[in-house]
Amino acid sequence: MDFFDYLGNVPEYLRDEWRSYLDLAIDHAQIVVTAILIATVIGVGLGVLTYRRPPAAKVVLTVTGTFLTIPSFALFGLFIPIFGLGSRPAIVALVMYALLPIVRNTITGLRSVDPAVTESAVGMGLSRGQRLARIELPLAWPVVVTGIRVSTQLTVGIAAIAAIVNGPGLGGPIFQGLRATGTQRGFNLAFSGTVSVALLALLFDLLFQVIARLTTSKGLR
Amino acid sequence: MTDASRSPEPMIRLESLTKRYPGQAVPAVDGITLDIPKGEIVVLVGPSGCGKTTVLKMINRLIEPTSGRVLIGGEDVTRADADELRRHIGYVIQQIGLFPHMTVAENVGMVPKLLHWEKQRIAARVDELLELVGLDPAEYRDRYPKELSGGQRQRVGVARALGADPPVMLMDEPFGAIDPITRDRLQNEFLRIQADVRKTIVFVTHDIDEAIKMGDRIAILREQSHIAQYDTPEAILTAPADGFVEDFIGAGAALKRLNLTRVREVPLDHWPAASVHEDRARLRRLLAESEQGSLLLLDEEDRPLRWVTARDLAREREPLHRVGLPATAVVEPHATLHDALDEMVTSTVGCAIVVDRRGRYQGVVDLGTVTSAIDEMRSDVRRRDRAVAEAEAAPGDAVGEVG
Ligand SMILES: Nc1ncnc2c1ncn2[C@@H]1O[C@H](COP(=O)(O)OP(=O)(O)OP(=O)(O)O)[C@@H](O)[C@H]1O
Ligand SMILES: [Mg+2]
Repeated sequence: MDFFDYLGNVPEYLRDEWRSYLDLAIDHAQIVVTAILIATVIGVGLGVLTYRRPPAAKVVLTVTGTFLTIPSFALFGLFIPIFGLGSRPAIVALVMYALLPIVRNTITGLRSVDPAVTESAVGMGLSRGQRLARIELPLAWPVVVTGIRVSTQLTVGIAAIAAIVNGPGLGGPIFQGLRATGTQRGFNLAFSGTVSVALLALLFDLLFQVIARLTTSKGLR
Repeated sequence: MTDASRSPEPMIRLESLTKRYPGQAVPAVDGITLDIPKGEIVVLVGPSGCGKTTVLKMINRLIEPTSGRVLIGGEDVTRADADELRRHIGYVIQQIGLFPHMTVAENVGMVPKLLHWEKQRIAARVDELLELVGLDPAEYRDRYPKELSGGQRQRVGVARALGADPPVMLMDEPFGAIDPITRDRLQNEFLRIQADVRKTIVFVTHDIDEAIKMGDRIAILREQSHIAQYDTPEAILTAPADGFVEDFIGAGAALKRLNLTRVREVPLDHWPAASVHEDRARLRRLLAESEQGSLLLLDEEDRPLRWVTARDLAREREPLHRVGLPATAVVEPHATLHDALDEMVTSTVGCAIVVDRRGRYQGVVDLGTVTSAIDEMRSDVRRRDRAVAEAEAAPGDAVGEVG
């Protein structure tokens, strides 16, 4: 049998099984969203704390950058003794992978605020916190959202690998399928899982376009 | 005229204010002492790098002085809460720095909001301020900065600085980045607004012409903000303290001085004038009785029409409104003597006709008027300088003295 023979049998398989893929996709989305929310809080926080201190910013960017270079298989494996199996190690690992784009864009966004705008804000008597909340973060926001969006795309893919720590999501069928390579069943599983991941990534991307539009001031578009 | 350095109760007083930036051999501002009277525009002018911006920013503590004090309304603000202080000082910079993600109304209402004004009060204040700077609130309130022209942005910047009606305004080259025609208009508008609001304003520029136009007083600074001269524009133009000031004013000081006097402030000359409907014999008599060689004819509403000579009057067949020369070179009372002089040199009879707002003839100004106005200014300044010298002979406090 070749690829197209296998492929021809997939629709029939999905007719019976799409519900379970939908459930898996929802689980998958859940750990991604959880990880991204945590990474956004930590990432924006780190960005806010370091954008005015170049040495500190450099340390943060180097460390979060290093996270990204750790092979995901290895990282998930390393977490088993610490966090056990399930979604906990998966989420921790995903947060680590999601940090760099968010931190980097937060720092870039905050640094690109026009100095004249900052000067007039200080000159008008906005306190440090008011400046950040009302001026700098709203102005940096479009760049920050782009960072979050990149992180989301990244984690949707990596989350599939979380299946090796028994994490929930679309990684399950993919790994099962890979173990049964060369059979129709194996193809059905791996193919459906992979396509679902891609679709989910696409949905997230659309969602972010909507979010970016709704949360960016009309004066910045 | 009172001498600025010893006005009784200045709104702002700078006392030996010094700023030494880290790692610099000489201070950027070296002990400037200056009194800024309430309700006046004081212009700091001087070459690039002399420390004007540094002085200005030490007043609202965007830059902390190395030593010295700033008193506002008699209170030392060098140790006050900086944010609270700044909410009561309007601040306008060349780049304006409007908040791009906020509407015009949100920009202008920012400081009132920080001061916890009620919503309705803020909305009313925003409309009032937009009105004041010549922007129709209904049209501009909800626009974003990117939807405004450069001149409109600058107006919004001024409106925003006036937000909570601060007694003091600091302006750093506010019109520096605007084309000359718009700049001229904004300057005039600002002077009109100031006549209304009477803020105490410190205004920085490096353009002496702008300083002369905007300033009630001008402080000419040399390097490290040493004051070369602090005085009224008239006095600086008439009696520059030294070569540095003279160089800074540049050529044409006498002509610049003419910008300081308005036509309504000088005595007008009277030229023989009569209605175009008078009978010719009377007109001829009028002309013969005067010392002038021509007569000004006015229309039914007293508006200048033609210049006619005895020879023109003799041309009986031509109607009067067609003989002679058209009455050009007309100025209104708010025109400066400089404008009047400009008109004068193009006029056939060598004088400018002054009319009121409705165009009715009031009198004329000629070269004699202009020169005596200059003489007047000069002797005013001399008289004042003599008075100051006498006062100085008697001991007194030396606050604000030229360093
Ligand atoms: N943050 C700073 N750190 C070090 N030196 C500074 C700083 N700001 C200004 N200076 C120096 O202080 C001096 C005065 O600067 P300032 O900006 O007050 O001049 P200015 O009169 O406003 O000039 P300009 O007309 O060009 O705006 C200059 O020599 C400048 O290089
Ligand atoms: Mg400057």
